[in-house]
This record gives sequence, structure tokens and C-alpha cells, in this order.
Amino acid sequence: MLEPFQLPFVQRALVELLLLALLAGTLGCWIVLRGLAFPVHGAAAAAFPGLVLADGLGFAAPLGGFGAALLFALAVGRLATRGREGNDTLTALVLVAALALGIVLASDVFHSAASVESLLFGSLLAIGAGDVRLAAAAALIALAASWLLGTRWLASGFDPAAARSLGVRSPLPDACLLVLVALGAVAVLSAVGALLATALLVVPAATTRLLSSRIAGWGLATVALAAAEGIAGLWLAVKLNAPPGATLAVVSGIVFALVAATRTLAPEAAT
Amino acid sequence: MTPALATVLDALAHPFSQGLMQRALLEVLLLAAVGGTLGCWIVLGGLSYGAESLAHGMFPGLVLAALAGVPLLLGGAAGILVAALAVALAGRVRGIGRDDAVAVAVTTLFGLGALLALSPATPVGIQGLLFGDVLGTTSADLLAGAALVAVVLLAMWLAHQRLLAAGFDRSGARALGISPFAVDALLLTLLALAVLVAVQGLGNLLVVAVLVAPAAAARLVTRRLAPMMALAVALGAVAGIGGLYLSYYARIAAGASIAGLLVAGYLLARLAAVTSQVRKGSATAAG
Amino acid sequence: MTADRAGGGEDARVAAGRRTCARVGGSDSTGPARQALLTAEKLAVGYEKAAPVLNDVTFALEPGERIAVLGPNGGGKTTLFRALLGELRPAHGTLALAGRCASVPQTERSRLDFPVSALDVALMGTIPGRPWWRRPSRADRVAARAALARVGLADRAERTYGELSGGQRQRVLIARALVQEARVLLLDEPFSGLDATSAARLEALLAELAGEGRGVLIATHDLEQARRWDRVLCVNGRQIAFGEPATALTHDVLAATYGGAIVTLPGEDPGAPHHAIMPPHHHHHDHAPPR
Repeated sequence: MLEPFQLPFVQRALVELLLLALLAGTLGCWIVLRGLAFPVHGAAAAAFPGLVLADGLGFAAPLGGFGAALLFALAVGRLATRGREGNDTLTALVLVAALALGIVLASDVFHSAASVESLLFGSLLAIGAGDVRLAAAAALIALAASWLLGTRWLASGFDPAAARSLGVRSPLPDACLLVLVALGAVAVLSAVGALLATALLVVPAATTRLLSSRIAGWGLATVALAAAEGIAGLWLAVKLNAPPGATLAVVSGIVFALVAATRTLAPEAAT
Repeated sequence: MTPALATVLDALAHPFSQGLMQRALLEVLLLAAVGGTLGCWIVLGGLSYGAESLAHGMFPGLVLAALAGVPLLLGGAAGILVAALAVALAGRVRGIGRDDAVAVAVTTLFGLGALLALSPATPVGIQGLLFGDVLGTTSADLLAGAALVAVVLLAMWLAHQRLLAAGFDRSGARALGISPFAVDALLLTLLALAVLVAVQGLGNLLVVAVLVAPAAAARLVTRRLAPMMALAVALGAVAGIGGLYLSYYARIAAGASIAGLLVAGYLLARLAAVTSQVRKGSATAAG
Repeated sequence: MTADRAGGGEDARVAAGRRTCARVGGSDSTGPARQALLTAEKLAVGYEKAAPVLNDVTFALEPGERIAVLGPNGGGKTTLFRALLGELRPAHGTLALAGRCASVPQTERSRLDFPVSALDVALMGTIPGRPWWRRPSRADRVAARAALARVGLADRAERTYGELSGGQRQRVLIARALVQEARVLLLDEPFSGLDATSAARLEALLAELAGEGRGVLIATHDLEQARRWDRVLCVNGRQIAFGEPATALTHDVLAATYGGAIVTLPGEDPGAPHHAIMPPHHHHHDHAPPR
């Protein structure tokens, strides 16, 4: 039953997933709390052309990805609610443009169309040491930033208008959050790809949010859940010979649905 | 007629001498028609995120259709129904924001599509589903698309007053005997039909461009609905035809080219709006 | 007496009264829908299965009358209006209407960025009663223009709604109500945000419209204004008082209606203290039923 985990590449994937579970628990909770699900998806998708470019020109993939994701997050991820529809439109369209650019680069410029699927949906079983290091760094930075800036992020999120009038509103903490979002999006790319980043960074945090209402407990529960889902998804993927990133997305989605259903049907059972 | 002009005209006309490109052109014009008109209601009604969600959420339907050898339209229709249901259910989940719940539902569905598409040994042409295949438009596709577009246009024309009243003042519309819920349902249905038409040419990932970009750009330019729709259709057509030229002469993927031009048009309009506001601001400050 | 002035004969109104008696809940309706435009008798209204949020409302609106509806936010003014519009069924008591009610909401509820002209908004009043597949007819457009002319905005018909001033927007919404050929106009704080000139113009318009035989119900927080009108109706979860302002607006009534938000200012006549209401927060609820 446990044979999958004896394979070395599976073990590496497991390490990656556990590190990313840490990220899912810290950054993921802030993403859900501050309503950043759509910008996260956009930042990860925006990384796609950066990755293709890096691949084609021969520089380190994470750099390309991060550069693109960062541009995206800063340009579009304005946290101040300045016409939400305008923001949504801009995010959606820049996302589309990034994907279009990526596929054009991949199929018509660098002729690397074969790698498109792994860039879009991840290549968890081909994780390298560099990816693991990136995941570890991202998790560490997320933890540190959360500890330092958590209270400010909370205040801005709770009542932006009041925060502004109280003179508390320095744009720096929120800018840091956006940079962190870009970093997180890039860190999960090798595992789940440019299109499924939210499967790791949003779904587990959203699931546990349904159950817990305190920040600290929520974070820990999310880490545990993300780790469990990672292990289960990985195991299933190896057993079924299915793409692991997508398997993970489906597994975490089903867990969310079950929790949501339980909560609606038996509200007393879910504390 | 000077030789230079003749060359230019010939270059413009040449791509469309083939049936393949002619069909692609018709498809593109259909998309411009539906995207420009319905797109205005989508943008005015704040449905961009909803459109994006439906387009991504329908992916498993497309994959299953491709795997089963069934027409994409059927798979797409089933996929959209499931996606709409999932999004509706997700919206009812208490405890997290509506948008986050919808994101969860869409990611899961999209992952399911990827799971189905990438597992079997037989590749299912996933890139065509994701990024479209406008140059592969068949006559059957055109007929089905034209029929759907006609339905959408007719519905919009008939329901125009109600769409306007409900969008303008939701609670006031109730007092006029209009059910905002019915109007929402109508818009979502029309949105689903438009996505079905457009997904063949632009693919799952890029389809939202034709539904949102032209209307969003037009909205930055004009404040009245009829000119907005007309301009949006025109922008969509220009981007579509331009994209086809790019694909023919520069050998770039057609769907991606069209999507890229659509978004470029929007970004230009946005830039123009911002600069004119800045100029107006400095003028009033100085004057 | 009032039969001919209101246009349409006695029979039409009786028939209309019988038709609209479908809104009556609880005990059956009584006769006096003949003279009054609307009559409420111990009316209680609530949302879905919850307990009524407005109780024991008994009043009548005569043609030509303007009634100020006073009450705190959340006290039931909006609930009452929704019941009059037919959106909510009475939980108890009776409500009889002799003609259409039309709503004139606050202008903030409409989208100022919507691509509609003043004429488009007025034209929305022609929607009720028209089958959904039918487009506005020439007669509809004529009626919409006439309504805009009636409120003094004939030359602004083509202007974008969002570009008009606050007072003009309010008048466009009144035009929309007029197009519906409503006998009863329900206005929700129409004077908020208006300068003195616009407010005066609006008041004059309302006086004219009432003088033509309509009835006007105005939800307001302006006590001084309320005193100038024909009757006041004070609600706060239940009806506190109904009657002429001079007699109904006692300090006790105001206290019961507004709780602690009453401010007594020294007036010129020490025997008649000058009451005012603390300006309320401007909430923009959708007043959706509690889930």
C-alpha cells in the first residue's frame, strides 16, 4: 500500500508538498481573509509566459516566473476597492493576455509546445532540488512576514476606510502582501502549475475557514489539512497514473464540498 | 490603381481566398457580434468574474466530449450546466466570501478536466480545448454558432427594457413588476450560450476576452448603450480580423492572436481614459 | 364628489378597488375603499415566516393628501412601502388600494454610471402591464416625454441620467412614477442631499401633483417639513400616531418614534419648543428579508 512512497521522486514530491502545506497554511489564510483568490490565480497564470521565456532563453525558470507574477500582482492587485468591477475586468483580461502570450511564445517562438502542459498543470513528480529550496524559502518568508505584518494586514482588511482615516494606512504592508502573493504563486508552480495555484493556496484555507473562526487555529488546521490532502493526492496520482497536480486539486475540492455540505446539513456537528 | 495599392489590397484579400480562412472569418464576426452586444450587459452588470468562472468551469465537459468523440457543443453545454450549478451552490456556502467559494468550485472543476485530459494514454488535444482552434471551424460549427448567436441577439432585443431597468435600479425594478432574479437568470443563460459559441474558436482559457474586452473598452469611451454596443462589436471585429491576419502572415496561433489584440485594445482604451482624466484634472486645477 | 376629479369614473375605481383587494390578508375588506385612495386597517407586515416587523398600522390616504411618514431607519417605513407596492403580503389586517402605487426611491439606489438617458428612465415606467415581448410603442414614448415635461425636464430628456443634478434626478424618478399612471406616489427621503432651491422646487411639484388628485406618501426625517403637510404617520415597529401634524407630533409621540434621537432646540416661542431629529446615518441596505 505504501509502495509509492518508496520511490525517490515520490519522496521528493512529498517533501515539496509538505513545505507547500506550510505555505498554504500561512499565506493561504491571508489570501482568503483579504479576498485575494482572483489575484493569486492571475499572478500564477501571469507567470506562465515568464516561465516559457526563461525556458526558451535559458535563464532560471523561477526568475522568469517571479518577474511576471510580480508585475501582475503589483499592477493589478490593488487592494483598495477602487471600483471592483474595473479591477475584476482588468485582472481577467491581463490574465488572458498572459496566457495568450505564453502559448504564442511556446508554440510559435520557442517551439516548446510539449512542455506547455507541465507548465500549466505542474510536474510534481519531476521536482528538482531547486524547486524544494524555493518552496522552503517561500514558506519561511511567509511565516516571517505573517508574524511581522499580520496585525496590519488584519486591520486593513477589516475596514480599509477607517484604517485610512485613522492615518494608519501606509501602503507598504499591503504591498508586501502582494509581493508575497507573487512569490507564493511562483513557489507552487512546479507542483500544481500555473492554472491550479489556487488548489493549494486557496482551497485548503477556505475549507478550514468553514470550521474555525480564529486566526491561529485556522492556520495550523490549514497546514495539517493541506499536508493530508497532499499526501492523499500524491498517493492517488501514483496509483492511478494520473497527473498529480490535477489530482490534488480534485481531492481538495471534494474535501471542501464535503465540509461545506456537512456544515449546511448539520451545523451543530461542525463547531 | 497604383501597383503599391494593388499589392496591399491583394495582401489583404489573399488570406481569405481559402475556405478555411473564410470560415474562420465568419466565426470571428459571429463572436464579435455576440461579444460586443452581450458583453455590454456583462460588463455593466459586473459579471466579468462570473463569465470567467463559467468559462473555466466548463472544461471537464469539453474534455469528456473530446474523449467520447462527441461534438464539443454538447460537451460544452453539459459542462456549463454543471459549472453553473457548482457556482450557484458555492455561492450559498456560508462562512467564506462568495468569490472565494466560487474560486474553489472553479479550480476543482478545472482540475477535474485536467485530470481527465492528461491521464489516458490517448492525448485529447488539450491545447486545442484550452486555446481554441478557430482555423478548424467547420461549416457545422458555423451553423450552430450562427443559430446560437441569433437566439442571444433576439433575446437581448426583446428583453432590452427589462435588462435596462433591472440593471439601473434593482429594487426599483421590482416595484415595476420585473423580477431581478429572472433577469439574472436570463443574463446567465445568454452568457452560457455565448461562451458555448466562443469556446470553439478561442478555447476555454481565452474565451472571456471576446466577451469582456470590447465592451469594457467601449464603456470607457461612450456613456450611452447603443453606441457602446456598436463600438464594442466594431472593436471585436477589428481584433478578430487582425488576429487572423497575424496568424496567416506571422504564423502565430490564431486564437491567441485574437485574444491578445482584444486585450491590447482594452488596455489602450484604459490608458487613453486615464490620460484624459489626468489632463482634465490638471486643466481644472490650473483653470 | 371626488369621483370625477380623479379621472375615470366611480365604476373604474370600484373595480380597481375590488381587484386590488387581493392584497388583503386576514379578515375581509370593508367598504371604504371608495373615497380614499388607500386604507389600512390594523395592518401588520413581515418578511416571509418571521414575525411582523411592522404592526397595527391604521390610516387612510385621501386624494390630494400628502402624508409624511416618520420613523427611524429600520423602523418599518420601507416595509410599509413594500407592502403598498404589493411586494409583501400583509400578515394581519387589511390593506385596500383604489389605484396603483408607484415608488420613487432615493437616487443613490440607481446606478449613476448606467448608460441611460432621462427619457430611458421615464420610459421604464411603461414596463408594468406590457408583455415582455413587446417594445415600447409610440404612445409610450409620448407618455414618457409628457411626464418629463410635467416635472419640468422636457429639455433634458436626452441627457444622461448620471449627469443631472440631484434634484433633477429625483424629478426624473417622479416622472417614471407618473408614467405608471399611479394614483399614489411613495417617495423615500426625496429631499436628502438637495439644496434649498431644489428642495423648494420639489415641494412645489409635489403640491401640484397632490392637487391633481393624487396621494403622496413621503418618508422623511425632516420634522419641519412634515409639519407643513396634511398628515403625519409615525412608525417604529408599530404605528405610534397618525393625524394632523399640529395634534399628532407631541413630544411623547416623537420620543416613542425616534427614541433618544430627539433634540430639543430653543425656539422663538418658549411655549413651543423646537424639536429636531439627529441626522441619521445614511444606510444603503437593500432591505432584504433576514435569512
